[in-house]
Amino acid sequence: MLDIKSARKVFYKGQPDEKIALNGLTLSLKAGEFGVVIGSNGAGKSSMLNAISGALSLDSGQVLINGNDVTNMPVHKRAARLARVFQDPMKGTAASMTVGENMLLAELRGKSRGFRPGLNAARLAAYKERLAVLGLGLENRLDTKVELLSGGQRQSLSLIMAVGGSPDVLLLDEHTAALDPRTADIVMQATVRTVQALKLTTLMVTHNMQHAVDFGDSIIMLDAGRVHLEITGDGKRRITVPELIGHFAVKTDRMLLVS
Amino acid sequence: MMDFIQTTASSFISLIPVTLAQSFILSFVVLGIMIPFRMLSFPDLTSEGAFPLGGCVCGILLAAGVAPPLAIAVAFVVGLAAGCCTAIIHLRSGILMSTMLYSVNLGIMGKSNLSVFGSPTVFDWVPFTEAGFPASKIVVAGLLAVIVLIALNLYFKTEKGTAMRAVGSNPDMAEAQGINVWAATIGGVGIASAFSAAGGALMVQSQGFADVNMGIGILINGLAALMIGEAFTGKQTVLRQLLAPFVGSIIYYQLVSLCLAAGMPPPNLKLATGLFVLIMLALPSIRRSRGGAATRETIRE
Repeated sequence: MLDIKSARKVFYKGQPDEKIALNGLTLSLKAGEFGVVIGSNGAGKSSMLNAISGALSLDSGQVLINGNDVTNMPVHKRAARLARVFQDPMKGTAASMTVGENMLLAELRGKSRGFRPGLNAARLAAYKERLAVLGLGLENRLDTKVELLSGGQRQSLSLIMAVGGSPDVLLLDEHTAALDPRTADIVMQATVRTVQALKLTTLMVTHNMQHAVDFGDSIIMLDAGRVHLEITGDGKRRITVPELIGHFAVKTDRMLLVS
Repeated sequence: MMDFIQTTASSFISLIPVTLAQSFILSFVVLGIMIPFRMLSFPDLTSEGAFPLGGCVCGILLAAGVAPPLAIAVAFVVGLAAGCCTAIIHLRSGILMSTMLYSVNLGIMGKSNLSVFGSPTVFDWVPFTEAGFPASKIVVAGLLAVIVLIALNLYFKTEKGTAMRAVGSNPDMAEAQGINVWAATIGGVGIASAFSAAGGALMVQSQGFADVNMGIGILINGLAALMIGEAFTGKQTVLRQLLAPFVGSIIYYQLVSLCLAAGMPPPNLKLATGLFVLIMLALPSIRRSRGGAATRETIRE
């Protein structure tokens, strides 16, 4: 369960280029709900995700995960409760380390790290099994450095790393935007499968209107730092891409291109 | 010409044991430079101050009659504290810390130079060797180097060690995986400076005096040794990366000794050091350009 209560964040306050990123944004996601966030550039999508993950501290307002106030919790402490897949495949993995070591780091996300040996036979076997689900052959490349993987493989690895340990909240930040259409499709299918299987509370940001229509339980449209529109239930099931674009206050070429 | 080669060779060979002892001692400083630069991506310059700090602390302790191993242990701890301060100041550069440490070192010793010649040292206790001779230093410093190498290789493969490497590889990712980047950096830089300081303490016991200026140029020499070492060991695995400071230190100081044996005046050594580094930096691209030329030819065919 995720709650954001009247979150407000202003960048460059008092300066000529003052920018209100979040303007009293309030949002609630039930446990196991899959929300899809859309909105034009500058609507506050990234600021919202950063506020949830802790990378951005709010001027006012609250962030609650499963009813616990995490507003003042630093990123590394929140990590025990939430996981995130970034748009940039480089960001979510440690490039100079192996696939196995990256899996280990993710496994230890919410746990205390000791002086025990990191990778052992039992762990490697478990990682093999979890990576095999993707069908990309990553299970046979546990000793490969992540920098040698393709963008799609890295992003798939990020996803497996994020969903391991069933986080309370999963944040997907345009995680298929940097991939070619075929790979994007593979990663998207894997995402939907795991989110449904593990019943994860998920917030996915996307610029792809087709994805917004096809996936998720609800659509949350942001505009000027607040929720402009929420489409749930039957409305969500019936909505079409042209209708969705019709809701945008400002229509840009980019949206028409991806629809 | 034959004469020159002969005298150079004979004096170089006679210097090998002394130089080897020195390079084992200084390999701890190179290790103290490698850990922040390579494992944490934190370009830390504290070693320039931590090395004489360890030396000065060890010097006054020996002069006060403290047991030699304890003097090294205290130098290690003081170096740890200095490194932690650098990371906390977090100026991404320990040059400020090194500058401040110069005054601290002078304050600790009360004068710029302190002779501890004749005090007992850790090198006195090696059986079957005469105290003060290179063989005992090679045995003690070499043994310490092997122990540290094995311990660090084990540590960097533990859960904590893997997390520390992640901080150097991708700090944003490390933080998102629940790793306290701040704490890992402080701990890592602290340990690195502790090794530099321990190297300084060993050096003082080896040479028989402590000097506030003993750190001048150590950073550049250490970086040169590290790069030379990496050219030989590579950086693909944790073990290779950890071996680089030791291998590099041994090769680098033998090269310096060869220059001295060939009659190069000491002031020119800095030029030679610079050239070694340039050659090491150029080697991979020279190899690559040769490979590149070969492929171009095959394409032409």
